[in-house]
Amino acid sequence: MTKAITNIQHCYHCGEDCKEEIHFNDKTFCCQGCKTVYEVLSENNLCNYYDLNNTPGTSLNREVHKTRFAYLDDELVKSKLIQFTDGKISTATFYIPQIHCSSCIYLLENLYRLKQGISRSNVNFMKREVHITFDNSILSLRQVVELLVSIGYEPNINLNDLERKEKSDHIRRYYLKIGIAFFAFGNIMLLSFPEYLGINALTESPFRRFFGYLNFVLALPVMFYCASEFFSSAYNALKQKTLNMDIPIVLGIIAMFARSTYEIFSQTGAGYFDTLGSLILLMLIGRLFQNKTYDALSFERDYKSYFPIAVTTVNNGIESSIPLTKVRVGDRLLLRNQELVPADSVLIKGKGNIDYSFVTGEATPLSKASGDVIYAGGKHIGAAIEVEVTKEVSHSYLTQLWNDAAFNKENADRQITSLATQVSKWFTPIVIGIATAAMLFWWNKDLHKALNAFTSVLIITCPCALALSSPFTLGNVLRRLSRNKVYLKNALVIEKMARINSIVFDKTGTLTNTKTASIDFHGEALTPYELQLVKSLTYHSSHPLSRKVYDLLKEVKLIDTTDFKEIEGKGIEGWVDENCVRIGSKKYLYGDNSGSSSPISDFRHASKIYIGINGNIKGFFLIKNEYRKGFGNLMTTLRNKFKLYVVSGDNDAEKNFLGQYISADNLIFHQQPADKLMFVKELVEQKHEQVMMVGDGLNDAGALKQANVGLAISDNVNNFSPACDGIIEASGFERMDQMLAYAKDGVKIIIASFGISLVYNLVGIYLAVQGTMSPIVAAIIMPLSSVTIISFTTLSSSLAAKRRGY
Amino acid sequence: MSVLFILIGASLLLAIGFLIAFLQSVKSGQFDDDYTPSVRILFENDLKSSPAKTKK
Amino acid sequence: MEVEKFKYDNRIVRNFGFASFIWGLVGMLVGLIIALQLIFPQLNLMEYLAFGRLRPLHTNAVIFAFVGNGIFMGVYYALPRLTKTPMWSKALSNIHFWMWQFIIVCAALTLVLGITTGKEYAELEWPIDILITLVWVVFGVNMFGTILTRRERHLYVAIWFFIATWITVAMLHIVNSFELPISLFKSYSLYAGVQDALVQWWYGHNAVAFFLTTPYLGLMYYFLPKAAGRPVYSYRLSIIHFWALIFLYIWAGPHHLLYTALPDWAQSLGTVFSVMLIMPSWGGMINGLLTLRGAWDKVRDDVVLKFYVVAVTAYGMSTFEGPMLSVKSVNAISHFTDWTIAHVHVGALGWNGFLTFGILFWIIPKMFRTELYSRKLANIHFWLGTLGILFYAIPMYIAGFTQALMLKQFTPEGNLLYPNFLDTLTNVMPMYYMRAFGGALYLIAACVGVYNLVKTAAQGSFLAEEEAEAPALSGEYHAHSGEHWHRWIERKPVQMLVVAFIMVAIGGIIEFIPTFLIKSNIPTIASVKPYTPLELQGRDIYVREGCYVCHSQMVRPFRSEVARYGEYSKAGEFVYDHPFQWGSKRTGPDLAREGVGNAKKRDSWHYNHMEDPRQMSPGSIMPPYPHLLDRDLDVSNTGAKIRAMQTLGVPYPAGYDKIANDDLEKQAQQIQASLKEDKIQTSEKKEIIALIAYLQRLGKDVYSQTASEQTSELK
Repeated sequence: MTKAITNIQHCYHCGEDCKEEIHFNDKTFCCQGCKTVYEVLSENNLCNYYDLNNTPGTSLNREVHKTRFAYLDDELVKSKLIQFTDGKISTATFYIPQIHCSSCIYLLENLYRLKQGISRSNVNFMKREVHITFDNSILSLRQVVELLVSIGYEPNINLNDLERKEKSDHIRRYYLKIGIAFFAFGNIMLLSFPEYLGINALTESPFRRFFGYLNFVLALPVMFYCASEFFSSAYNALKQKTLNMDIPIVLGIIAMFARSTYEIFSQTGAGYFDTLGSLILLMLIGRLFQNKTYDALSFERDYKSYFPIAVTTVNNGIESSIPLTKVRVGDRLLLRNQELVPADSVLIKGKGNIDYSFVTGEATPLSKASGDVIYAGGKHIGAAIEVEVTKEVSHSYLTQLWNDAAFNKENADRQITSLATQVSKWFTPIVIGIATAAMLFWWNKDLHKALNAFTSVLIITCPCALALSSPFTLGNVLRRLSRNKVYLKNALVIEKMARINSIVFDKTGTLTNTKTASIDFHGEALTPYELQLVKSLTYHSSHPLSRKVYDLLKEVKLIDTTDFKEIEGKGIEGWVDENCVRIGSKKYLYGDNSGSSSPISDFRHASKIYIGINGNIKGFFLIKNEYRKGFGNLMTTLRNKFKLYVVSGDNDAEKNFLGQYISADNLIFHQQPADKLMFVKELVEQKHEQVMMVGDGLNDAGALKQANVGLAISDNVNNFSPACDGIIEASGFERMDQMLAYAKDGVKIIIASFGISLVYNLVGIYLAVQGTMSPIVAAIIMPLSSVTIISFTTLSSSLAAKRRGY
Repeated sequence: MSVLFILIGASLLLAIGFLIAFLQSVKSGQFDDDYTPSVRILFENDLKSSPAKTKK
Repeated sequence: MEVEKFKYDNRIVRNFGFASFIWGLVGMLVGLIIALQLIFPQLNLMEYLAFGRLRPLHTNAVIFAFVGNGIFMGVYYALPRLTKTPMWSKALSNIHFWMWQFIIVCAALTLVLGITTGKEYAELEWPIDILITLVWVVFGVNMFGTILTRRERHLYVAIWFFIATWITVAMLHIVNSFELPISLFKSYSLYAGVQDALVQWWYGHNAVAFFLTTPYLGLMYYFLPKAAGRPVYSYRLSIIHFWALIFLYIWAGPHHLLYTALPDWAQSLGTVFSVMLIMPSWGGMINGLLTLRGAWDKVRDDVVLKFYVVAVTAYGMSTFEGPMLSVKSVNAISHFTDWTIAHVHVGALGWNGFLTFGILFWIIPKMFRTELYSRKLANIHFWLGTLGILFYAIPMYIAGFTQALMLKQFTPEGNLLYPNFLDTLTNVMPMYYMRAFGGALYLIAACVGVYNLVKTAAQGSFLAEEEAEAPALSGEYHAHSGEHWHRWIERKPVQMLVVAFIMVAIGGIIEFIPTFLIKSNIPTIASVKPYTPLELQGRDIYVREGCYVCHSQMVRPFRSEVARYGEYSKAGEFVYDHPFQWGSKRTGPDLAREGVGNAKKRDSWHYNHMEDPRQMSPGSIMPPYPHLLDRDLDVSNTGAKIRAMQTLGVPYPAGYDKIANDDLEKQAQQIQASLKEDKIQTSEKKEIIALIAYLQRLGKDVYSQTASEQTSELK
């Protein structure tokens, strides 16, 4: 009896094509997992989940091993993950990349209906986080996580979570400061209006005094709380004997405050508090704008966020789960399907089938026999294996990268000074010079005027406009880029990007796309019936290559298969409709006597899967990774502007192909992660090139860190990406040249706006040196200049974005 | 025009009141999440058929 | 920790809802009546139903009865659902409801009976003011109680709007309602003249802001997304927009007093802040409209959304027009004309009216577990209503503009082209017809809507108690500081309450301030003298009959006005005016200089004019006041009034209250005599005598000064 799929049904839960249809409540599901979720929800009357959006779920095809989350019972892990507990009530926050629609929010906030003991759960959609409060006496942390997994929302738990630091606090502080500044500024301006509008000094002098004192009071918090960070940063700069933009700013602020206070209490004037308020408010907004963070993304991820928190050890037969940090050389670890090799080790028991795709970008798993060395970072696929640790996690082949000097990048960062800082190097002395000059000029003519001139110059030259141009330009550029799935760590990255003159690419996974592989059949053409046989067999295998073949044969109908066998790392076989079908490596089909070895070794970048039906080999599917969309054009445009390099862990099979775009001696193959790092280091330090490294995998992390700009490319930005300065989604790859050009535009705009604000300053100085600058002039000129700058930078950067297609 | 003192005083106090409220709510993280609440209000507060029958 | 079950009280929502549209109909009906009275003066059937008394009734009914109940309906529906908590006290809810309706009834009665403080939008006398304060406290306790015990940690932006509304209205009401009672039904404003005007319009503007705008924005932010089934366009924007609005609105008040005797800088202040207001206001509108982006197909077939769209658009229009009107040059034209009327009705009919009905059409079927009785009728309601708004607003704009221009026109020789105010009025009468038509359309539409709602309610089964469940908030912990954060929550509203009490405290402070207030009045113009007892009595009649509704007492410093009415008004002239009677609309001419110069008329003229305006000035639309001619003036309270004035700082000689009535009679007899000369036989005891005395007094004090400065000071 054959089950035929006439038209592919879509799963009611996850919307994926149903390979086999499971019917329940006249709805169709692709797998038991999806059906179970539906059952659970419907029995708890949560079917709103499906009404809010169509097929909001995520496929649950992969079954979860019951001990997979055993490590969550480990006290240490618990104590790290649980944010608060009084022994009974506990709270924990989980990062769940699957959160994508209102249904997710609905379901995750109604968890309390699904399980006794969950008291409430709160979703933060932007951060893709759910904050759960549960009753420890009823429910363990592990059960909570398993509940989440059971409904298709597997939280992403890793070592980093154990050392998570709260980011929102400093953003909050900005909100506070801006709130206060806005309030104070608004009222100060209100109370200053009578001044502008010619309040009658005689009849209404009580008002003037009243308003003056109120202004002073309102200015205090602005001066001593809102502006605090300018003071501190100026102070730090002085401590390091450097000049930064905040020094003239602070000078200006102080001058303003002092003079205003004097004027008000001596009844000689109305002061500049309104100006003071507006400046600080604007500058704070600028800072906030610039410090925009992508809640859901992290640029600091290292191997920690990739490795599991805990692993299962076996000593004389007893399994126990210990935190990764406690793993020591000689420990015996049990690796189940889909589990990660945490440390370099030797295979002891079982057939290893290690997928290094993440480390090398190589899609095809390597099969390992007992005795083989397994390097950290690989993912084991298939039946559980036992390994013995040979190196501590931190000393493993891969992870030692992080002990490299390159990873104290912070000091590297400090060397690159932003444009603003460079300007202020000469700005500050000049300003002070002019101020003193003006003062001396008036000194013996009119002392009062001399002081006026001095303070006026400091006030009017307070380079707020200057200080605003970078934040607003770069902030806008950041926003525009992020709209196009290019996420940069901070504004400085843009300036760095504008300077680079050479680009280093990783190959596999960066230039090539591991997800979409080209696949075609070589050998005598298969009949439709044979294709059916092949597909039916591959249907039962979870091996990535089998999957690829299966997906290739989309429209082909399935036939029932009997006694299916999967030989780890070799191939699969089984009886389909009275036919013996064998699919796998050459070695596997031809038998060991045939000269060639496993498909992986015969060449790394493309794989052959041989098909044998009833003993005779029909031919092989050739699976080849494709280069990313627009690769050719991108390279041709880039190579005119930049020096291009490719450093690949692979062999030089692709040398000729890449040679069309990149001069052969810039193509370096067989590079271990450490080599890549050294290569970039050399470019930067010996050849003094401004390098941008583009990579994807953990193996590039070293190089990414070492480069002036490290850009990680990822097919889904919510998934893991190594530490870097920016994450770019694969779709944006082909427009990389535009991105770089846009960064350059940004810097040009900043320079232009510097010019504008300097003009304002000159006008201001001209008035100021004469010692006859009235507060209202300042109150007009300074906000005006700031507003000009803000609008200029924002507009022009938006225009540039349009031109570059962002 | 001395009534202005009162009006300004009153309005200022009011404004300060709101400022305090603002600061408090920022501190307590009211504005940390500026998207989810707008979705949350769309959910009808429906009932779970019977709370007793949650499986252990 | 357990999941808590609770019930939402739909009854209170239904009651407020029904109250809202019932009073709405009443208010609109009165509106239509006064609109017709302006066309057919003979419709001023009796003294109680004269325009001067019905117009305050109309404004109060629409603002506090229709919109007021609308607000409470919305809050009592949205707040519990946003906080996942039933209202704190059902009892308080009901007290709130019934007291509010009681206040409305009292208001209706007193206003018709001519019991009024004579301050626009705050006409209700002191006992009712106190009642209002009480209800407001009840409402506040109930609201904050709910917020305190809530089960949803985050305060949705709508709640912020409600909180702001409560606190601000409380403060405004208290500060503006300081009055000195002389009897149960009569009190004098604590403030005098310019100060009174300033306070009044500071209140008047913010009443609009915080009674007609912020609460409705709150409702918009809840009901619009609900009805559209999609989250608000930008929640961040809504938060920013809220805080910006709160910090700006308070200051816009003085723009109602441009070109008046208010100090220039205070006026400009109002202008500037009003102009700035456009940003947050439009923030709200844009956010509302963009919420529907990509859902316009929905809008096409969902009548509720249609109502919202028009409402929000109307909001956008009037919040754009508002700042524009507060620009001095525009205001010079618009002020005192029908332009203002058009402006407020775009807001009231469009924004408040349509939003209310939109909410009703959504809420009633929900609570009665049924479909809307008839979509067709709802659509009819929608289209009729929209037409109504247009037919109302456009003619008023035209009328206002034309009349303003006519009043400003001069002949080449430099005389007014239309020296007689009446000519300009008769010229725009056609517009008044159309306005009445527009109003009628809107009323009919509303009736259709109400019928539709009643039918809906009838066909459904009312769900009085809506079951709901949510996990408790208590026992929650602050994620970061590990602190008990429901305490945070508790603290915040408590703080709000504290703030509220500070506001009340301000009221207390002001109790002690009057003396200081009175002393520190504007540098008094020497020639300005207190009113004589008879004039004082006459002034109270002037207030009682609501003359200020159509007649301003504020000559602005324009050539046209000085030429028409006489010297422009000075701040110092009003120091004895409790309350000020500047007015806000000139359906008739200004009266500030009625007693002097070219405006001066004989006593007999006033006598006949009051008996029937049309025998003196044909074509006039002023109501007749025959009852003044045959009712005796009540002089029993003269003493009390004098004493009250003395407490408020009016310099009557000590013990004057004893002999006041003697002076009163003397002056009455003089007027009686002068009437006799013109063959008018009447007793000196009649009310008309007092009114004439007051009218003849208007403007005298300053006029006695030299005419030289008049022209020189013109701006």
